[in-house]
Amino acid sequence: MKNALILLKTLLLSTSRRNIIKYSTDKKKKKRARGGQVGVAVIFVMIMAYSIVACVGYGRYGMAASIPALCAVLLSGLAFFFTFFSTNGYLFNFKEYDMLMSLPIEDSMVAACKFMYMYIKSLPWYLSISLSMLIGYAIFAHPGILICVLWVILSLILPIIPMLAASFLGFLVARVSAGFKKTNIIQTVLTMVFVILCFFSRFFVEALFENGKAQATLTNASEATERFTGVYLPAGWFAEAVTKGSISSTLLLTGVTILLFALVFRFVGRSYRNINSALKNHAAAKSYKMSAVKKKSLLWTIAYKEFKRLTGSTPYMVNGAMGEILALVLGVATLVVGFDRIVAMVTDNAPFDPGILTPAIPFIIYFFIGMMATTTCSPSLEGKNYWILQSMPIEKKTIWQGKMLFNLCLTVPVSVVSTLCMCISAKVSPVDTLLFVILGIALCFFSTTWGCVCGVKHMRLDWENEVEVIKQGAGVTIYLLPNMFVVMGLTVLVVILGMKVSVELMTLLFILIASVLAAVSYLWVLSLAKSENAPKKMK
Amino acid sequence: MLEIKNYSKSYGEGKKAADNVNITVESGDIYGFIGHNGAGKSTTIRAVVGVLDFEEGEIFIDGHSVKKEPMECKRVTAYIPDNPDLYENLTGIQYLNFVADVFDIDEAERAQRIKKYGEAFEITSALGDQISSYSHGMKQKVAIISALIHEPKLMVLDEPFVGLDPKSTFTLKEIMRDMCNHGAAVFFSTHVLDVAEKLCNKVAIIKQGRIIASGTMEELTEGHSLEETFLEADQ
Repeated sequence: MKNALILLKTLLLSTSRRNIIKYSTDKKKKKRARGGQVGVAVIFVMIMAYSIVACVGYGRYGMAASIPALCAVLLSGLAFFFTFFSTNGYLFNFKEYDMLMSLPIEDSMVAACKFMYMYIKSLPWYLSISLSMLIGYAIFAHPGILICVLWVILSLILPIIPMLAASFLGFLVARVSAGFKKTNIIQTVLTMVFVILCFFSRFFVEALFENGKAQATLTNASEATERFTGVYLPAGWFAEAVTKGSISSTLLLTGVTILLFALVFRFVGRSYRNINSALKNHAAAKSYKMSAVKKKSLLWTIAYKEFKRLTGSTPYMVNGAMGEILALVLGVATLVVGFDRIVAMVTDNAPFDPGILTPAIPFIIYFFIGMMATTTCSPSLEGKNYWILQSMPIEKKTIWQGKMLFNLCLTVPVSVVSTLCMCISAKVSPVDTLLFVILGIALCFFSTTWGCVCGVKHMRLDWENEVEVIKQGAGVTIYLLPNMFVVMGLTVLVVILGMKVSVELMTLLFILIASVLAAVSYLWVLSLAKSENAPKKMK
Repeated sequence: MLEIKNYSKSYGEGKKAADNVNITVESGDIYGFIGHNGAGKSTTIRAVVGVLDFEEGEIFIDGHSVKKEPMECKRVTAYIPDNPDLYENLTGIQYLNFVADVFDIDEAERAQRIKKYGEAFEITSALGDQISSYSHGMKQKVAIISALIHEPKLMVLDEPFVGLDPKSTFTLKEIMRDMCNHGAAVFFSTHVLDVAEKLCNKVAIIKQGRIIASGTMEELTEGHSLEETFLEADQ
């Protein structure tokens, strides 16, 4: 137990910005760490403001009683997904595996410490949501001080069960993958299948409720949330504990969490070394026979290197290609099921003409494709290998151009195929289809170049774990937030304008805007390649 | 001190990275482990230190089974990998304190050992800096000091001399000799045959996962150089 605490303390210290600010002799690194602290603080404020506003909305419509359930569902969902995507890299297949496993610390203890590390690191995010929602709840429900204390304490416990579930699922994926020769590919495929199943499970769940003639209960989000707490018991226990001050619910949530923690890590600990051995070691086939080798241009060489980087890493593949897969699945599903039916399913049979959504097709597709551009993290992913490119006679701009070329190769074909599928299904005219395809391509160019601006400006090479730059990198966050809000805003704008202005004219206008934005971003990348902003060397 | 008995390790489709390896390292031995790149040296070493799971055979350290009593084995062993992945954001001293804490070394003892080895490897003044600012050789020195901090009975090293400056190489060799004179044992892999020849009293040569020659230096070389012996055995 003592060693577990020492290890946990060291794991936290080894990734703390405070340690960098205190001990680093690299001024740029210190500056980046301070900047990171400010960035994180801004995001905290945004999340808290959003959570409070959401609760005020609930309160104004007389649904304050549902806020605890909403909080529980939100925290559980976030904890589950963030943990699932971080399992590979933090819990399994981590960099310092050899060093840690050679120390006299039990395998199950190492696994549990890694889990607790993930928990403590993500806890401030969950607390920022939970405490803000408590404030929102307090404004309308005026709970007693005891309830507030209970809320805070249970907020610390609530994320653990979904995190354990996600870790266990990650363990199963790793366990199954470990049995195959191409462990990395199997792990990537299994993870992607799981995410796609989760994404589309909403429709199955709805169908399930419809069969039970419970459609009426799903007429608003509040009732849906309440219903979820009946299915996912820990969320229900939390809601009951903080609304009724239920001691039994409090004890149940705490007791089950402790029990599951002990069970999961007893189980995981048994195969921990076996799984990591399989994930970290691969046989050299030694079967290559020298044959003709093809020459590629410099740009295509860099793009191909990016392709191999993407396919060689499960976290990168899952994050980098998931949007494209979802867009493709949606496009093909629309073609098979029909545009009108898909719209009806997504909008719960809302009474409107699905035709008004057709001008938004390029944005719907882009919503998925633009979720992540590989250019946001690929400069950082060079990590300690950056010297290879740096020591070669390649201009910086060529490196970034190669990375952009790869993202375009990944996104443009998917955008074209998915848009075509949707347009055919929605019976869009050939001229509009052509314009939508061009708009989709222009958006891909924007995503690629804007992503590259973020990726190069916030390039970070000294990461311990690639998940740090793929999921939590400043480049990814800065790309994602404006991109997501702009796209959602534009989708609404397109639908509204589409009813008043000619669709062709409007689409042409958006093509122009997207192209200008892409051109500006591209020029920005070129200037970054020249300027001091692009790191010249790494320590 | 270390006994590897019929150890085999396969990576998918039955391909053996280590095939029926048998090695015995006794107290006082400096045992060299040599072979080509990809011959199975690191695969064997990582199994010895309990990092790599294995299916066939047994490995004993100080009479304890690596499979069944891993904690007992790890408590008396120190491992230095070929490319030490340390916690880059920790300072050198923070990392050494972490390892000392894990091995439960009391404060006076750890301070004395850190001082002794820090000065021997001329790295004391850099211990307050973050490991991320260290060169490969400096990281290697911190890894070596962390390995020595609990006075192990068995030290396992994978290519320990790569990246070390000549003086530190000499210091490490002296420390290895000193450890063995005090009853500990050293098992290390190397490509530097001159060093192995001068330093080791026993050697094993591994090729395609199989031990093709092993024994005392005198038995193995029979008056030839280790380089000649290695090249001959390799044919």
